[in-house]
Amino acid sequence: MRKFVLCCGSGIVTSTHIRKKIEEELDKRGYKGKYAITQCRASEAATMSDGHDAVISTTVLKTNCACPIIVATGLLMNRGTQEIYDQICSFFTDED
Amino acid sequence: MQFILDFFSTLNSLGAVVVMPFIIAIMGIIMGTGVGKAIRAGLTVGVGFIGLNLVTGLMGTYLAPAVVQMCERFGFSLNVIDVGWPAAAAIAFGTQVGSYIIPVCLLVNIVMILTGTTQTIDVDIWDYWHFAFTGSLVAIATDSIAFGLLAAIFNMMIIMVLGDLTAKDVEDSLGLPGVSLPHGFSTAYAPIAMLLNWILDKIPGVNKISFDLQSLQDKIGVFGEPILVGTVIGLLIGIAGGLKYNEVLTLAINMGACLVLIPKMAALLMEGLIPISDAASGFIEKHFSGHGQMYIGLDSAVGVGHPLTLSVALLLVPISVVLAVALPGNQFMPFADLAVIPWMFVLITPVVKGNGFRALVIGVAVLIAAFYIGTDLAPSITIAAEQAKFDFTAGTQISSICDGGNPLTWAIYRLNKISPIVGIAVVGAIAVALAIFNRIRIKKVNAAAE
Repeated sequence: MRKFVLCCGSGIVTSTHIRKKIEEELDKRGYKGKYAITQCRASEAATMSDGHDAVISTTVLKTNCACPIIVATGLLMNRGTQEIYDQICSFFTDED
Repeated sequence: MQFILDFFSTLNSLGAVVVMPFIIAIMGIIMGTGVGKAIRAGLTVGVGFIGLNLVTGLMGTYLAPAVVQMCERFGFSLNVIDVGWPAAAAIAFGTQVGSYIIPVCLLVNIVMILTGTTQTIDVDIWDYWHFAFTGSLVAIATDSIAFGLLAAIFNMMIIMVLGDLTAKDVEDSLGLPGVSLPHGFSTAYAPIAMLLNWILDKIPGVNKISFDLQSLQDKIGVFGEPILVGTVIGLLIGIAGGLKYNEVLTLAINMGACLVLIPKMAALLMEGLIPISDAASGFIEKHFSGHGQMYIGLDSAVGVGHPLTLSVALLLVPISVVLAVALPGNQFMPFADLAVIPWMFVLITPVVKGNGFRALVIGVAVLIAAFYIGTDLAPSITIAAEQAKFDFTAGTQISSICDGGNPLTWAIYRLNKISPIVGIAVVGAIAVALAIFNRIRIKKVNAAAE
């Protein structure tokens, strides 16, 4: 079970927007039921990152997170989306 | 015919909670999202609206009386409660201007692209609400929906141009190439930041001061979390209001709850808009790219994570509370919108180039202005809320920092209050002048690129 933190400015608007896209894409790639996503705001990203596999962020993040940060602004712009999804999927191991 | 008129007037009298789902569903069907998805989207928006209503009702039940008691005891006059931007957005979308705003703003963007007056394809449909907010206030001031819509259109034009002009800064300081931020709130602060920064540059001695605030966020960021901020402020107000200890504790947990629940409800509202937003932005991107170098207009939330922005915003939370009490003639009590302070800084941070001192000084200046503006706009915002059938305790007024404290919104509103025709003409003239200026600039940029 992979755990992702989805972070944006307020934890409301942008993160909700791309959460659906990410979930649909992950399901399409066969990972349905194998991941959990928590939404949060930029200021909470560092504290929330404990125990998660990656932070997916739509806002510039320069804080110290306990796990790698994936920049997902491209999902808002429809640019480089496949690369971003590939990055997210790289966290799934063969056991999942 | 009479039946149709009666149907719509009954619908309207039921308020935004019922009307908005219909409008969203119809828009969804027109834009081809499919009937099922459109209906679900409309209902989700309605649920989000009701959820927000419930939470702000909680604020009205618990916070408002405590604030009133606190004011009586200490002689403050803080009777304008800050309900926050999610409520402001819900109100804006729920007014009559708001119900037209999505197609109107899409049209403005398309026309601006075709006339070469903007380089931005604005895919941030959600943030059209800022323009609807301005428009709704003007509609109330001028008693005319038409003037309100015009004000919204001119507001958007001004922000679109400012977004184009600040795009280079966005790219450099926030590392977001190809992106511009035509945001009704954040972008309004760009010219103000530039002006204040320029003034600070000219003061001998002061212009040399600089300190680094960026590490603050990592160290004490936890204190800025909504759940803590809400509970602490609830405690403080309860104690200041002379409530009994059990009432103080009840107030505190309720306020912590409000600041956590408001974003969750807003997320629902947003979720309902997503199919519409995606359809609209897909449409505009597909048909209107390729007019020279284009930017994608995004929510300024993408720039909020900058460490200086977050640190200064954190410092400003306690400073705001002190300011609210200390400023003479201020009636605005900051609460839910303490969370929106980072958005003020998205375009201020690039301007001050990492200088924590300047960021703080500019932040305090614009906050002071925001409190007075929020006080000034409170009566009209409260009327708009009533029109959208938004629940709040009678006897207090509501406002917000975003956009209740927005200087551009305030300027447009005040001009129209002085005189509707002259006001809209002045605002329109400024908007058109900026558009033409931008068009000339864009031509030069595209010519140089070839």
